[in-house]
Amino acid sequence: MKRVLAFILALCMVFALCACNSGDDSKDPKVTDDANGTTVTDPDKIPDEMTSDDGKYEIAFVTDVGQLKDKSFNQGTFDGVKLYASANDKSYKYYQPANGDKATDDDRYDAMKAAVDNGAKIVVCAGFKQEAAIRQAAAEFADVSFVFVDGYPVTESTEDGAPVLKNVAGISFQEEQSGYLAGYAAVMEGYTKLGFTGGGGGTNPACCRFGYGFVQGVEAAAAEKNVKAEVNYSWLYGSSFSASPELQTMAAGWYQNGTQAIFACGGSMFASVSAAAEAADAKVIGVDTDQSFESDTVITSATKGLASSVQWALAKFYAGEFAEIGGVGTALGAKDDAVGLPTATWSLENWSVDQYNALLKDIKDGKVVIDSDWNNLKSTDNVTVNVIE
Amino acid sequence: MIFLIQQTLLYAVPLMIVALAGCFSERSGIINLALEGIMIFGAFVGVLFVREMQGNEVYTAAKAAGDWVTLQGLELLAMLVAAIMGAVFSLLLSFASINLRADQTIGGTALNLLAPALVLFFIRIIANQNTLQMATGGAGSWFMLKKSTFGVDKATEWGFLKEVLLNKAYLATYVCILLFIILSIILYKTKFGLRLRSCGENPQAADSLGINVYRMRYAGTTISGALAGMGGFVYALTTANCSSNGDVAGFGFLALAVMIFGNWKPLNIAMASLLFGLFKCIAAAYTSIDINGDGIYALAELGISSHLYRMLPYIITLLVLAFTSKSSRAPKAEGIPYEKGQR
Repeated sequence: MKRVLAFILALCMVFALCACNSGDDSKDPKVTDDANGTTVTDPDKIPDEMTSDDGKYEIAFVTDVGQLKDKSFNQGTFDGVKLYASANDKSYKYYQPANGDKATDDDRYDAMKAAVDNGAKIVVCAGFKQEAAIRQAAAEFADVSFVFVDGYPVTESTEDGAPVLKNVAGISFQEEQSGYLAGYAAVMEGYTKLGFTGGGGGTNPACCRFGYGFVQGVEAAAAEKNVKAEVNYSWLYGSSFSASPELQTMAAGWYQNGTQAIFACGGSMFASVSAAAEAADAKVIGVDTDQSFESDTVITSATKGLASSVQWALAKFYAGEFAEIGGVGTALGAKDDAVGLPTATWSLENWSVDQYNALLKDIKDGKVVIDSDWNNLKSTDNVTVNVIE
Repeated sequence: MIFLIQQTLLYAVPLMIVALAGCFSERSGIINLALEGIMIFGAFVGVLFVREMQGNEVYTAAKAAGDWVTLQGLELLAMLVAAIMGAVFSLLLSFASINLRADQTIGGTALNLLAPALVLFFIRIIANQNTLQMATGGAGSWFMLKKSTFGVDKATEWGFLKEVLLNKAYLATYVCILLFIILSIILYKTKFGLRLRSCGENPQAADSLGINVYRMRYAGTTISGALAGMGGFVYALTTANCSSNGDVAGFGFLALAVMIFGNWKPLNIAMASLLFGLFKCIAAAYTSIDINGDGIYALAELGISSHLYRMLPYIITLLVLAFTSKSSRAPKAEGIPYEKGQR
């Protein structure tokens, strides 16, 4: 018996050692470029956790539902924090509200309070679900500034006419423009049977705008090419923005029935859709950040400038100009270069970067107007929308 | 139809092999409630192994060169590692319930509680997130057998049988089916199998004939742990894109239900898990199932609420168990710790 026990113990120890080693590897700050005075531009090279000398962390980041490294929304926003902090030598720390996908307003508030207790001067909060927690935290910690990504100005209380909190800057994006460009690109590339699977169960405004814009883009391109397009439109299996076998089976079913590309709009849901796409040798459209590095199946990504907008807001704060953006909502769109498709990793063959830039310019100039009210979603002459519920 | 068969197999095979795992343990007289926990642990170990091995030159080169035989080797190796660690993990249960004569239900529950916590703890350290994924790519591009794997164009027609068996399938599925058959034969047609089963029915009688009950029970739970660990990894590989997050969606408990429903008999277990897999598949993909290939998605057009489809697997289990549980016959001595002096 002793031998068996010793064997288990030995295995456990080996195992723990392995785990520790690989942990150190991933955290090993390979920021050697910094020593030469050059700025690090690859956020993946900046460690997620840093240790400040005085134990205080000036810039705090509170995540949305889903995990930090979701290769999408949370990660993109946090990249902005890391890039700014590393370029300007500030201390930073991230906080994940307790209870994961089921985090309550109290959990989020606790995360913000922990951030302030750790010496945060500015708290970046990702996701529209943080509204109630921000209202409570921003009112309590009036000398701390909050950046509300995917958000809007927040009032002191939910009553009508309550004053707006001046220390909260709401930043939102015109996702419908980004979705429009992605849908347009997919049809111009020659795909006519498309899919959209969104996170948040249809309650997340950003995802709704992405999806509605996507359909409008498909419609516009289909009308131009005079073809009939079809879009499967679903909010199933995405309410927690995570990957699941059910989602993968659903996507596999779509691909099986001829869907050529699916717009995976919701953080880690991407993993399920891309798995189904890899199996079927079909295509995926990424979201929020350029996801072409995740899988060869990605044809393009409907991005929004999370990292750049966070850096912009942090720069305003440290320049003492936070009052300009505090208490107001800033909607960033094509005119601010905050939405679009990544051109550096362009892989489309039948629609060029020049054509994309021309369309982007039309959107900037207001020649192409994209509706942002997703309740208007419907089938038209050129595009059939199959809402799956 | 092809799609339906394949997806059903994907769900059914992990269930089947884990239910057989339960069968081995219970036939030897130990209730293995820890199937879920061992699956979670096995899935984690397998995924971690794949993730670490992806960096190995041999496999990076094999992937780049499209050398699928080597990659399938990696898949089998990962299954083996998951099985070994699953067996090691199950030793905790064997030790508690055989040597210390602890309550087996509580021991199993403890492992079920321990596994997700332990796994999440390690994933946190290793990857700094809640889900451990492959280092690059996904299960579909690394391990799946499909037309492009064999260098055949996607549009080529293969005929029904070849489409079902070789297109978009995993080798792991067939290995599991093969193992299932071999182990069932061992359980029923060999001396070892007979002795194992006798320890679950009447250990005192077995002991009087010179069979070491402790050793047999250790053998039963260890085989059970190995199969459950492997089943966990196969589940993660085929349905969760080779990722581990301290959760196997209750498949371990479903396997227990399948085992009881299958009356502790391998053939019935296989049938039960196919039935269950079919309904799991319908629940997730009813909108795209075209049964006879005429372009009509009958299930979607019935207009039944999607919630009902998602409930189906569980409703069916309840119904079937309600009707079959009368005739179910569990091994007589399961759950009772064996003491030599007792009669």
